[in-house]
Amino acid sequence: MRKVFIIAIKEFLATAATKGFIFGMLFPPIILGAIITIMPLLMNKKPPAVFGHVAVIDRSGAVAPRLVEAFAPEAVENRRKERTAKVREAIDQGAKSAGLDADTTKALSGELDKSLKAAEELAPATSLRVVVLPPETDEESAKDEIRKGGKRDTAASNGTGAGTGTSTGTSTSGNAADPGPRLALIIIPDQTVRGSDSAPPGARFGEYQLLTAPRLDIEVQSDLRSQANRAIVDARLALAGQNVAQIRELMQSPAAKETTVTADGTASINEVTKLIVPAAFMFLLWISVFSSGQYLLMSTIEEKSSRVMEVILSAVSPMQLMCGKIIGKGAVGVLILALYSGVGITALIFFAVAELVPWQNLVYLGVYFALAYAVIACFMAAVGAAVNDINEAQTLMGPIMLILVIPMMLWLPILRNPNSTFAEVCSFVPMINPFVMVLRLCGSEPIPFWQVPASIAVGMATVLFMAWASAKIFRIGVLMYGKPPNFATLVRWVRMA
Amino acid sequence: MPDAIAIKGVRKTFGTKVAVENLDLVVPEGSLCGFIGPNGAGKTTTIRLIMSILFPDSGELRVLGKASAIESKDRIGYLPEERGIYKKMRVGEFLRYIARLKGIDAAPADAKVRQWLTRVGLEETYRKKCEELSKGMQQKVQFISAVIHEPDLLILDEVFTGLDPVNRRLMRELISEQRRAGRTIIFSTHAMREAEELCDHLFMINNGIKVLDLPMSEVWKRYDPRTITVEPIAGGPSLREVSEAWGRIPNVLRVVMGPGAEPGAEPGTCDLLLRDDADPAGVMRAVAASITPRRLELRRASLEDIFISIVGISADELERQNSSQGQEVARA
Repeated sequence: MRKVFIIAIKEFLATAATKGFIFGMLFPPIILGAIITIMPLLMNKKPPAVFGHVAVIDRSGAVAPRLVEAFAPEAVENRRKERTAKVREAIDQGAKSAGLDADTTKALSGELDKSLKAAEELAPATSLRVVVLPPETDEESAKDEIRKGGKRDTAASNGTGAGTGTSTGTSTSGNAADPGPRLALIIIPDQTVRGSDSAPPGARFGEYQLLTAPRLDIEVQSDLRSQANRAIVDARLALAGQNVAQIRELMQSPAAKETTVTADGTASINEVTKLIVPAAFMFLLWISVFSSGQYLLMSTIEEKSSRVMEVILSAVSPMQLMCGKIIGKGAVGVLILALYSGVGITALIFFAVAELVPWQNLVYLGVYFALAYAVIACFMAAVGAAVNDINEAQTLMGPIMLILVIPMMLWLPILRNPNSTFAEVCSFVPMINPFVMVLRLCGSEPIPFWQVPASIAVGMATVLFMAWASAKIFRIGVLMYGKPPNFATLVRWVRMA
Repeated sequence: MPDAIAIKGVRKTFGTKVAVENLDLVVPEGSLCGFIGPNGAGKTTTIRLIMSILFPDSGELRVLGKASAIESKDRIGYLPEERGIYKKMRVGEFLRYIARLKGIDAAPADAKVRQWLTRVGLEETYRKKCEELSKGMQQKVQFISAVIHEPDLLILDEVFTGLDPVNRRLMRELISEQRRAGRTIIFSTHAMREAEELCDHLFMINNGIKVLDLPMSEVWKRYDPRTITVEPIAGGPSLREVSEAWGRIPNVLRVVMGPGAEPGAEPGTCDLLLRDDADPAGVMRAVAASITPRRLELRRASLEDIFISIVGISADELERQNSSQGQEVARA
């Protein structure tokens, strides 16, 4: 056993202590963690303040007053409050449907408040006035003002406008004190509001123009666009003699309260819990099993092709060598699994949604990792010992890989219906059953409990068979050179050894 | 003296190919046994059977008193024919790993590694990657990996292949050292000169069947060619003239003229083949009385002659086999 562990330690270090592994495996989660922790700090830098005015040339005469009203300080504040309320409502709804308890929801709500406050602080300080120009104003000269304003804008952003907070006002042409640089120009033709009877159907209302200064904050642009659209539509409705407020109220989209009826009653189930979490678990299992399996294959082929195998076999038996290699690379797989699950769980804790992953799922992940890895490792060790190079290995692995990608290809149908006959049959198919079971167990729909021990029993039987067969292939294959073996040869080796 | 290796009636096949057939072999402890035979004769298979890397289809095999080498792997040192090394591993790390697999604890393993590297002149390579070493250096490292744990039994498969004369000499010294330390050594080789020089027992296999198993003293006795080679000094009577007289010396069976003995040519050599019961000393005295010899030698068969006479292949063929094997090892 001592020799097995010496080999296992060497195999582990030969992979996990290489620059390639450290870069390939540790770098992505570190970067992800860094993004989660550092990005808010990096982003905690206020964008330059927006100080200036928006000129409006309204040839219909019906839109400009609405725009002036839309950018009144109270209207801007109301819009901000509405946005916050919508976000809060969506998160509350999500937490409720994810089955989080009251304490967690409260904690989540506290985090949300902090986030919203931070978002509010990070929003650009805006001092934006609407200046209504006469309808006959020359468009080119109005645009020139934007060009001039662009130059002034930089100075304004760095100086006078900084830190002024929300101070929106209205102004008509020439009535206000210095409204600052011109940041945008909205030109609304009469046809855009009143329409044209001569225009073809579907094109009755023309376009309007929104001209903005370079580098105008994207949120301000978006707000300008949406308020202009809203003001134009409202003006059309008013001109058509409609009650604008009533129509706006009637047009509000209803929210759906989704509930799943289960055998035990009803439960609100979130799509995230239903799809993303099980899929993440299965992909994590797949990646850790196949990464470590691939390392085992490569290491076995390398030892065989460099002829060092015989030197090692003079010190240990083939079985000891195979076990040591499997344990060593298995430790690499555990490291990968722990690393990525650790990052995932940290992220869930960070966002106070750790309840999305019950601890039982982690136990299942560990159990099914052991089963899946043992089977794949035995297979990889046998193939690695039988072939002379990686190309020959690909030929032997092709058919098996086709079976093993089934869970990857069919995860969505299995998740959508985890208790379907197909999903249940897959749960007992050797080699793929650990992946399918993890998918089903981590899903939201409970599965019959007897299927868990039964699938573990199938997994263990598969491991025993694979260990028996691969030990025989390994013993013969490691010293066989020349013509690459095919499946029939491997079967013959199993029989003759 | 107990036997280090005892093989009885061992047979090993690979599919339809019989690699070793009904093999009996006994290697006493403390002996240095040469294991020779043409390529594909079954030497490496036999060695792998001894090492329990392969297992016989039938027959009995005992190594260091145990039923298989697995039970005493830590007491066996093995240098396989196909040289293997972890190319990306550092020399010190590789040797430490092998030493630990051979049962040595970590701390003494490191001390032994440094000691051995110094012994073979590779102390500077401790931190170098194996792939950075020359082939000769790699071979020395591999030899260290076979002996670092001070084994009771040392099996060296084609140990001299690919070595330059300087390293061949060093390897001969190292093997002799191991022998003086009381280890049992088996080495398979095509290097007949080294085998002649080192072995005290010779074992030959051909087509999986043992064809020779004798102490070296017996080998020389059995394959004594009973031949006297004469080379006259320049300026004396012609070889052709005196050779007729030598043919009449009692116990001389035949006189074979060597190159240069033709009429008009420079004096060359000729061989006098003796009867089995002849006294070579009497014949040599008679020859010396007839001419002044530049060289008068009672010849002994070379191991190469014996090998060729048993195996039945030409010296050229043997040379081709040796060189092609050297190239294969180089490729590996």
